[in-house]
Amino acid sequence: MPPKPGKKQLARQAAAAAQALAPEVIAKRTKKHLDELERSNYAEPTLLAGVGEEDEEGGNKYGKGRGRQTISDKRQLDIPGNSPAARKKKSTMNVRTALLYRKNLATLIEESNITALPSNIPTYLTAVAPPSPYPPRLICSVCGYKGSYKCRRCAMPYCDLNCESVHAETRCERRVI
Amino acid sequence: MSRPLIILDNGAHTAKVGVLHKHEEPLIVQNAVARSKGDKRTYFGHEIALCRDYSSLNYRLPFEKGYLVDWDAQKAVWDGIFSTEVLSIDTTQASLLLTEPYFNLPNIQDIYDQMIFEEYEFHSYYRCTPASMISSGLLFSSPDLPPAVCTIVVDSGFSFTHIVPIINGQIIWKAVKRLDVGGKLLTNHLKELVSFRQWNMMDETFIMNQVKETCCFVSTNFQQDTETCRIDPKRNPVVQEYILPDLSTNRKGRVRRTDDIVAEADQILVMNNERFTVPELLFRPDDIGLDQAGLASTIATSISLLPSDLQGMFWANIGLIGGNSKFRGLHDRLLAELRTLAPVGCEVLIYESADPVIEVYKSAYAFAATNSDVGAADVGFLPRAITKAEYMENGSSISRRKFRDWKSAEELEREAYGLADNQTPLVDLGQEASAVEGAAVSQKERDNRKESKKASGRGRHQREEPRSTQRGADRSQQGPMPTTNQSVGSRPTRNRTIRAGGVK
Repeated sequence: MPPKPGKKQLARQAAAAAQALAPEVIAKRTKKHLDELERSNYAEPTLLAGVGEEDEEGGNKYGKGRGRQTISDKRQLDIPGNSPAARKKKSTMNVRTALLYRKNLATLIEESNITALPSNIPTYLTAVAPPSPYPPRLICSVCGYKGSYKCRRCAMPYCDLNCESVHAETRCERRVI
Repeated sequence: MSRPLIILDNGAHTAKVGVLHKHEEPLIVQNAVARSKGDKRTYFGHEIALCRDYSSLNYRLPFEKGYLVDWDAQKAVWDGIFSTEVLSIDTTQASLLLTEPYFNLPNIQDIYDQMIFEEYEFHSYYRCTPASMISSGLLFSSPDLPPAVCTIVVDSGFSFTHIVPIINGQIIWKAVKRLDVGGKLLTNHLKELVSFRQWNMMDETFIMNQVKETCCFVSTNFQQDTETCRIDPKRNPVVQEYILPDLSTNRKGRVRRTDDIVAEADQILVMNNERFTVPELLFRPDDIGLDQAGLASTIATSISLLPSDLQGMFWANIGLIGGNSKFRGLHDRLLAELRTLAPVGCEVLIYESADPVIEVYKSAYAFAATNSDVGAADVGFLPRAITKAEYMENGSSISRRKFRDWKSAEELEREAYGLADNQTPLVDLGQEASAVEGAAVSQKERDNRKESKKASGRGRHQREEPRSTQRGADRSQQGPMPTTNQSVGSRPTRNRTIRAGGVK
């Protein structure tokens, strides 16, 4: 029979287990990463195009309490005809509301009440692909090859000692929230 | 009098637009508002093509996760399109054929209507999903075969990828599946990888998009390619060096060929395993932690939600559209993976078009061109469109009634199978499917065909005997189905020759 772990070994194992990340933290981190990938450097929705921190164009900012303006009004375009778009008439209330008050997708999904529909109607939420039947394969976060080992502190995969040292120096602590 | 009909395939990355009978090939306009830090001005839509300094272009996209949420930006782009700079059309006198995303939310659909009728005051319009236009196009057509009845359209675009089964021109919404991997995700992933390993490109979406389109491919054997790259990172068949564009001299970015002499000031991006690990996300989204099955598995899931007797036909009619399907090697890899998932004896065929980006436009063009002037019969644009007068009288309820989409999923399913109103689709997987199949089986027996070869590949395809058994009782109960009889049954009669292998 193999020898039972002594007190010191048990203590070490407990310490190691306590340091590893809880799965919820990892899940939250992954979700944050995916959201970043969806957005990532496209302009933040709170800024109007043509208005930036350093911009001197004199556009209207939200914070100043003045009326909001749309970017589509600022152009010098020539549209034939006499629709409101061609500036010949004033836009209707519906249109102006839609233009000025932008909602993000999560809000729109909530407002659309598609969760309240009977279950035999397929919706955006039910149409998502099923989870993968295969377990995920780990990819080294540094070089992209097979990640055989995981970082002890932040559970990111790496493939060998070189990548481990790169990881520890550059982005190990930052990733752990 | 002939009202101009504008066809607008409103995509999240590019909008493909043109006027019927004037633009056979669409004008492609970037559907974004971009601010350039170098030029210090803002470009709307079509003006982006004029931009000289495209480093650090800050984008504002009307679409978020595939749905139109930022109407201000979208109106800015549309204003530009309808103005004298692009189409120069008077919208009050024109009709519009517009595409919307799959499973579009009802509140967003209302705003579409408001914009079209209250702001642009179009005379009439028809709003539909991209895949519903494909049946009118040439994607699945082979020279002397009748048009395909049961098809799967894989629409892989900027925001996501949808797998859309279509029977008789109607989408079977129950079986539509969405994979949240699109061109945007792949470009951003590539940006992250490169920024960590080489140069900081997090701001350079435009340039990285070009790099992705030039260098990336889908590998057929991921493990083997990874090993090849790992053994010698500098000299192996996969590695490519991309010379980044030089904006001061206005040189475009390009891949370095072996005889290229590189100046000192040029920045080089080494693309090694990024070339194929980035598009790999289409097949293994769990590589970045996205808990969804890959493209092949999702197609298999979607087909499994369809009647079992028709599944064989779906496997043989898979079409790819959307800009994200342009990766080299995608066809072969997808075929290999589907081959392992499809039942034994079932052939798998994937159809592609010469330009997947404009495929929807061309199909919509064909759809609109059918009796766009006559307007008596019930095909084409006119019977399906709603006019401004109808909207002003009824509001958005008229569009909810006339544009039938996922909300009327069951009704559409019944129509697809050619069932009467009191019969429910997909209740008993055997029963209704046999109504469609029954006709096919009887026709086949009459011809006494026998074939056994299974071949996967492009081009002319062969029909495999579906494994439906005699269902005399069921068939007599359903009665004659004229439409389905012709379209489904006639296919086997033509295809008698047996060809070996994938002959084009």
